Amino acid sequence: MSSIVVKGSRDLQKNVLANGLCSACGACTNLCPYIDMVRGRAVLIEPCGLSEGKCYDFCPRAYVDVPSLDRFVFGSYRRDLALGSNISVMKARAKESEVRSSAQYGGAVSALVTYALETGEIDAAVLAKSQDRISAEPTIARNRKEVFECAGSKYIVCPTVAEVFEATKQVKGKIGVVGTSCQITAVRKMQASNLEVEADKIGLLIGLFCTWAFSPDAYGYIRDLVGPAKVMKIDVPPPPANIFVIQTEAKRIEVPLDKVRKFVMPACNVCFDMTNEFADISVGTVEGKEDWNTVIVRTKEGEKILQGAIDVGVIEPKPLEKDRLNHLCEASLTRKRRVLTETEAEKIAYLTIREEDKFKIVS
Amino acid sequence: MKLEKEGLLNTIITGVGGQGNVVASQIFASAAVRDGFYVSVGETYGAAQRGGAVMSHVRLSRETQYGSLTPEGRAHVIVGFEPVECLRTVGGFGNKKTRVIVNPRPVYPIDVLSGASKYPAVEEVLKAIKELVYSIHMVEATELAKKAGDPIMQNVVMVGCLAGSGFAPVKVETLKEVVKETFAKKRPEANLKAFELGVEQIRRKKPL
Amino acid sequence: MSHFEIDEPGKRVLLMGNEAIARGALEAGVDFCSGYPGNPASEILEALARAAKKSDFHVEWSVNEIVALETAGAAASTGLRALTAMKNLGADVCADFLMTVNLSGTRGGFVLVTGDDPSAHSTTSELDTRNYARLADVPLLEPATTQEAKDMTKWAFDLSQELGVICMVRTVTRISHSRGVVTLGPLDRDKRSAEFSSQDLWTSGSSTIECMFHSILHEKLKRAQEKFEESKFNWYVGKENADFIIITSGTGWLYSLEAVKLLGLENEVGILKLGTTWPLPEKLVASHLKHAKEVLFVEETDPFLEQNMKILAAELASEGVGPIRFYGKKSNHVRGEFGAGTGELNVDVVIRALTEIGKAAYLSREKGYSEKAEKLLGSYVPARSMGFCAGCPHRASFWAIKKAAKWDGRDAIVTGDIGCYSLGMLPTGFSVSKTLHCMGAGIGTANGFGNLREFGLDKPVIAIAGDSTFYHACMPALVNARWNGSNILFVVLDNNTTAMTGHQPHPGTGVNALGDSSPRILIEDICEAIGAEVRICDPFDLEKSVQNLYELLQNEGVKVMIFRHECPLAFPKEKKARVYVDQDKCLGEECGCVKFCTRVFGCPGNIWDYEKGKAKIDEVMCNGCGLCAKICPAGAIIVEEVT
Repeated sequence: MSSIVVKGSRDLQKNVLANGLCSACGACTNLCPYIDMVRGRAVLIEPCGLSEGKCYDFCPRAYVDVPSLDRFVFGSYRRDLALGSNISVMKARAKESEVRSSAQYGGAVSALVTYALETGEIDAAVLAKSQDRISAEPTIARNRKEVFECAGSKYIVCPTVAEVFEATKQVKGKIGVVGTSCQITAVRKMQASNLEVEADKIGLLIGLFCTWAFSPDAYGYIRDLVGPAKVMKIDVPPPPANIFVIQTEAKRIEVPLDKVRKFVMPACNVCFDMTNEFADISVGTVEGKEDWNTVIVRTKEGEKILQGAIDVGVIEPKPLEKDRLNHLCEASLTRKRRVLTETEAEKIAYLTIREEDKFKIVS
Repeated sequence: MKLEKEGLLNTIITGVGGQGNVVASQIFASAAVRDGFYVSVGETYGAAQRGGAVMSHVRLSRETQYGSLTPEGRAHVIVGFEPVECLRTVGGFGNKKTRVIVNPRPVYPIDVLSGASKYPAVEEVLKAIKELVYSIHMVEATELAKKAGDPIMQNVVMVGCLAGSGFAPVKVETLKEVVKETFAKKRPEANLKAFELGVEQIRRKKPL
Repeated sequence: MSHFEIDEPGKRVLLMGNEAIARGALEAGVDFCSGYPGNPASEILEALARAAKKSDFHVEWSVNEIVALETAGAAASTGLRALTAMKNLGADVCADFLMTVNLSGTRGGFVLVTGDDPSAHSTTSELDTRNYARLADVPLLEPATTQEAKDMTKWAFDLSQELGVICMVRTVTRISHSRGVVTLGPLDRDKRSAEFSSQDLWTSGSSTIECMFHSILHEKLKRAQEKFEESKFNWYVGKENADFIIITSGTGWLYSLEAVKLLGLENEVGILKLGTTWPLPEKLVASHLKHAKEVLFVEETDPFLEQNMKILAAELASEGVGPIRFYGKKSNHVRGEFGAGTGELNVDVVIRALTEIGKAAYLSREKGYSEKAEKLLGSYVPARSMGFCAGCPHRASFWAIKKAAKWDGRDAIVTGDIGCYSLGMLPTGFSVSKTLHCMGAGIGTANGFGNLREFGLDKPVIAIAGDSTFYHACMPALVNARWNGSNILFVVLDNNTTAMTGHQPHPGTGVNALGDSSPRILIEDICEAIGAEVRICDPFDLEKSVQNLYELLQNEGVKVMIFRHECPLAFPKEKKARVYVDQDKCLGEECGCVKFCTRVFGCPGNIWDYEKGKAKIDEVMCNGCGLCAKICPAGAIIVEEVT
């Protein structure tokens, strides 16, 4: 892919794991007996001795060469510095209200994944499944019912990519993945890697907009707040609300964000990518409109699937208002700016972007 | 073969813990006692058995009891259950008059398997032994033991080799008797066969 | 195969030193035997147990050495003949009782056999237990041959009974585990009866009484000395009134004899060999010190004779002894690989001492041979470290502990203890345990490590012990941890046997020394009674084991994990499963495996095919346990059960 020097597990330990940069995406686990995922951190049991390996090559915090990855995924370098390469941006939602009611917002992800499965675009999808709506585990879904069981945002980190490697071994046909930015980046690196063969099976990547995730330490805190009651939904309303909302069967619990900020994964603080810039289709909220999603179509593959879903009436599209689009770009740029100017050099060393772009973003 | 000039014959049986060193030396020593010799046997037990190197010294004399350890460079016969251990023992206790019988089948130490050390080519090891001793007989004792019924009997095959070689003044018949008694309740036919295969093989084979 | 218990006086048999000691006890008519397994002494009690099955006397493995000595001591106080056998470090454990029963005395013959281990072949200390005889003021005998091992043990009972004090017989690895020809004596068939009335007092006393008993003990020692002057176990050979004499005991005797012979010094030097080494037969020794101008002490491991005889020589200075040039450990002439006072003796050590003193020149073999051999060994002979046997559950346990500690991520401190699992410090145990001292020291020291939070040490502490070790020494420390609030995770490796020393039973196995069934005292019951949080796992179920260990590590207080799985050597399977590596599935050196089974897991059954670049199974070493099949990341190892 590039002239990147791929390194091995010892370097992963030194540069990422020991540096507090691990975002628990799961890419390095399930590859070998030497790395496990434990409560929101990848743990190196013992260095394997190789100077070059998949763990380092897939890790979205070991190195991300943005220009190279752009060329690999999109064929050319990005023009849009705020949102990354894209073909179109719109609002969309699942047509069926039933889909929307079990989802976080517009249900676009559930609808798209289900459509892709039912039309045979993919044979299985790797998703995050939550039994209690608080913590989640990666799973392989093969039909509508299994997809719906995975609907809804997860605020505690879920190492979804750990199951992708497993899926490439189990699933005969194409695989779809729904993940956060670091997770999708990892899967792209897997596809681009010289070391991985089975990644050809990965067909559709749906990325979720992401600003941060909690470490599993948050579980105890939330459980204590809620008690034995069943959690229906967890949400972070848009600013200026500054709260974290837990909806149980009985009541609505509001927690000031300041109280839960300590659970945010440190790795999220160095993340450059709010809108999931390497996915085929990126999906996020529409602030203030609980029933809709913002959808960014990035690749031809993504466009084909989204259009197909629209054509058969599974997805309902609408144009995105200009001020909303500007707001989204501004939010994304603000984040990039902050990461570039306020982060210690060694913690951002993993990220390679063009100097001129860096300059443009910062000024 | 007559006892060496000193009136003493030092034999060392060497191998890896778990290879049946102790049983082999006991058989040899018991037979020697039966043939009227003074016998001393020196061994290391316990921790060494957990995969470590094990040596059994069997010292025969017509006149008197000797201490159980062979002095440096004074082994007359070395029976190696494993090639690297054989070379190790030859290095410490061998001399240009020593006669060696060796099973060339390697048992890999954990140090080699972990990548910390290299296991040498067996031919190189046998060559090195040959440089240091009078004669070396190579016997695929594990293969013969398999023929007899179980590869674990390679130690009994090697006792047979020692018997048939004539290197030690202990009668083959006496050794055979002791083998029979030792394994009376544990696969007697198979063990006897292993012994006899060893006796046959050493007589048939020329030294390297 | 050996016939140490046969009733054929006069017959010549090949016996192991330990068997000879057992034979000596039988010839003395021993009634009551106790001990704890320990290298190099374990076989003494095992042999006696075999004999006890046919004859009618008491043999038991006690839970530890002090209980062993106490239980035998009681038997001896009733007039029975009692023997307790243990390894050198066992003497440390029973020292408390030894230092009081020497004073309280004995009615029947009471013999303590200690097995020392010069060079520490299978122990964690070269402790020289002869020092205990001097400390306890009790008679000491040192056998130099297998025959003496028998004869001295037999005599020790008579000596002890006559003097009314416990007697020590001190053996070493090269006597205990070596075999030699022994002429058997007649067996004693007398059956004694035990008598102890409620009016009897058996005590070391205290204050004036103790001092009185102490003085009586000294008297007994004087009487022992008088007997020793005439003992047939002491002799002098070689040049009469030699200027240069070797004074030796134990294994030193045959080594010195052979060294002198090899150097051609038979007519130049004299050898004074002592079998009764405490108290010293002073008159006998003095008679030879008088003609000697140079004395070389050959003994192992401490300069016991050397120091005591120098004192004697100083005392006799006014009677014409000296000046004498002394050689031995102080002069650095008698030394092991790492220096004087450490390492075992052998003929070469004595030869080197004599040649360095200038008595002769010596070449062990052809000139240049040793240098050539060293070079070849350097090129072709890799080290051979110890490792867990194929199928050993400790391998699984240590991997589980390593993983759980890494998962926990707080740099857990792991303390080790004595047994096969001591190897947990080595690569075979993934270098997981970091400390090793004596029985029970694992959890003992963990008590300390787990109570240093106020000083800034707040890491998880994991203590490891085996099942036999648990009963021997761990229970008090476990109580202490609860009582004094120490935060520790105690991992007990229960393989249902005392493995390192030869698979002897213990209180959890349901079997006693004679193989008869006995009550099973469960480790988990004791731990629960103490109030620990207890979990039990089969270490072969690695996932569950790691998960449970990890969870326990997150909890406060005293936690116990019992890893229960039988030792495959103690409980071999009828039919061994056939295990092989699917060469197509094996990932070998590739990313995703990198020779995990051979390079990391390290079972001797997992070997590497250098030509094919794939893993394979050594069918001779393989135990058929199937553990490697569970850990293979490619699922390439296949286990076929054999019916």
